[in-house]
Amino acid sequence: MDFLANLAMGFGVALTPFNIMMAIAGVMVGMLIGALPGVGPPSGVAMLLPLTFGMDPTSGIIMLAALYAGTMYGGTITSVLINTPGESASVVTCLDGYQMALQGRAGPALGIAAFGSFIAGTIGVVLLMLVSPLLAKWALSFGPPETFALMLLGLTTVTLLAGDDPLKGYISMVMGLMLAMVGYDIISGDARYGFGIPEMMDGVDFLPVAIGLFGLGEVLYDAEQVGKPPVAKGRYGLRDVMPSGADWVRSRWAIARGTVVGFVVGMLPGAGPTVASFLSYTVEKKISKHPEQFGKGAIEGVAGPESANNAAATAAMVPMLTLGIPGSATTAIMLGGLMMWGLRPGPLLFEKNPQFVWGLIASQYIANVMLLILSTAFIPLFVRALRVPYSILMPLIVVFCVTGAYSLKNSVWDVGQMLAFGVVGYLMKKLGYSPAALVLALVLGPLAERALRQSLIISDAGIGIFFTRPISGVLMVLALTAIAVPVFKGLRAALRRGRS
Amino acid sequence: MRADRITAALLLAFAVAFSAGALKYYPYWGEGGPASAFLPFWLGVVMAALALLMLLRRPRDVGDWVPRGEGRKRVLVVIAVTVGFVALLKVVGMVAGTALYIAVLMRFLERHPWWKTVAVAAAAAFVNWLVFAHWLHVPFPEGLFWTF
Repeated sequence: MDFLANLAMGFGVALTPFNIMMAIAGVMVGMLIGALPGVGPPSGVAMLLPLTFGMDPTSGIIMLAALYAGTMYGGTITSVLINTPGESASVVTCLDGYQMALQGRAGPALGIAAFGSFIAGTIGVVLLMLVSPLLAKWALSFGPPETFALMLLGLTTVTLLAGDDPLKGYISMVMGLMLAMVGYDIISGDARYGFGIPEMMDGVDFLPVAIGLFGLGEVLYDAEQVGKPPVAKGRYGLRDVMPSGADWVRSRWAIARGTVVGFVVGMLPGAGPTVASFLSYTVEKKISKHPEQFGKGAIEGVAGPESANNAAATAAMVPMLTLGIPGSATTAIMLGGLMMWGLRPGPLLFEKNPQFVWGLIASQYIANVMLLILSTAFIPLFVRALRVPYSILMPLIVVFCVTGAYSLKNSVWDVGQMLAFGVVGYLMKKLGYSPAALVLALVLGPLAERALRQSLIISDAGIGIFFTRPISGVLMVLALTAIAVPVFKGLRAALRRGRS
Repeated sequence: MRADRITAALLLAFAVAFSAGALKYYPYWGEGGPASAFLPFWLGVVMAALALLMLLRRPRDVGDWVPRGEGRKRVLVVIAVTVGFVALLKVVGMVAGTALYIAVLMRFLERHPWWKTVAVAAAAAFVNWLVFAHWLHVPFPEGLFWTF
């Protein structure tokens, strides 16, 4: 068994005291970030990425991956206690979680979410471990046309799922690609759209953009709101959060189904934890013998989606590590981090940096155990953190955004860029555009352009190359379908209007 | 509604300039394949098409997107104070700047008592310095008046 040896090596890397510390710190900070309304996983990862620059890349990614898992659970705490999702993957948890809290059952709601997250996360890592090497081996045969087709598919699906207005999703995505064009051309060396400004010629860095759009943008969005909802009262000691036997019986299959749904959906480029949690909720409601209890405090409605979002967060690592295609805004930022550390995400990562990959996989097991311990034993602490008024948190978050953007290259220009994109992010959110699609496109832009131009050079400028090769052909058809669906829907609606 | 139309018009103008600029300043085709103007040109074309679609389609209601009253005041104050903070970063320095920024927002926007304001501002500026400047060796902008 080849992978057992690899896993043993991975644990050797992950179990060094410093890396264990990073995993614990990641989970704790992640839970806090997830619990704070207005700071979600992408902003958390973007703001903490600068902190990892001085570290060894393996320790860095261990912290970020643990943080990602932590945010998935942290968001649950606010969903259940104040009916405000800390991040989008916990939106659906509000439906039954808050109802349970109103009935005085906040403890079991948080408890089953913690156990579900642990089970789903751990099974997710096992699947990640089994699937990734196979996928990486398969992806080794990919040439530029396959790479381009895969990126196009990732971009279009993210856009399709980004919001309720696909047109605005596509505009956000193309804007991200346009921003990616700024700076030195990777093939010819032309300084595009530099306007003679040295900082512009270096291109638009994704990190200040991401910190601005997600961090500062969210702060501005929240700054408008005055006052905050009350915290649901209850007892959150270790005994109070343990789900009862009856709770377990009701939840066990929901957790199992959530894990499967989450992992499958999470692996698809573009789908991610949010979609997974909604899908799991729908499945549970459809299957349930008493669908009328959903929305009124059904524990399956918490257990399923919460398991699904953790399984999906783990699964999202699969395309990022093996194909170099992030499945969500958060993994896009992590991917940017990998490139900054000088690693090349993609199939070769497993061959060239086994320590890194297997260290990350092993650390995910540790992170899941930490998550279970912290999320059952320390809930009272996080409940207290929720009581820190937003009026104090807000300036602190901005200071963190500013310092993070600055420390990337020690440049005030980057801070200015972050600030500008903060205002852009605020307006995008107000007007229904998708910051996630923009960031993903900005990260993938240069890679996609390289693959596109290499393909066209190979094919002597014929676009047939994308369709005649089997793998890229299938991927292109899927990508074009993703583009065609909203167009078709729009046309049908227009026709209907014309008739009536 | 109107916001969508205005955005679409701005995006259309931007897209046309983007494509035209690409063709004017950079080569479209090079040895055996597309050159540096190729993708920017087509991205501009796609963006123009999307913007046109948005201009022509039946306007959708984006809701009341302009904040009013207290909300508007708060957003504008936060933006203005943050712009000031960043603009003065090199003059005031990171450490003093952070403390001042937090103090201004906490005291004058959120009306926290002075003792709380000073305590939070000083603690945050110190922790920020400790983590980034001391541990991670990020050379903070020092400012003209203070040298720490």
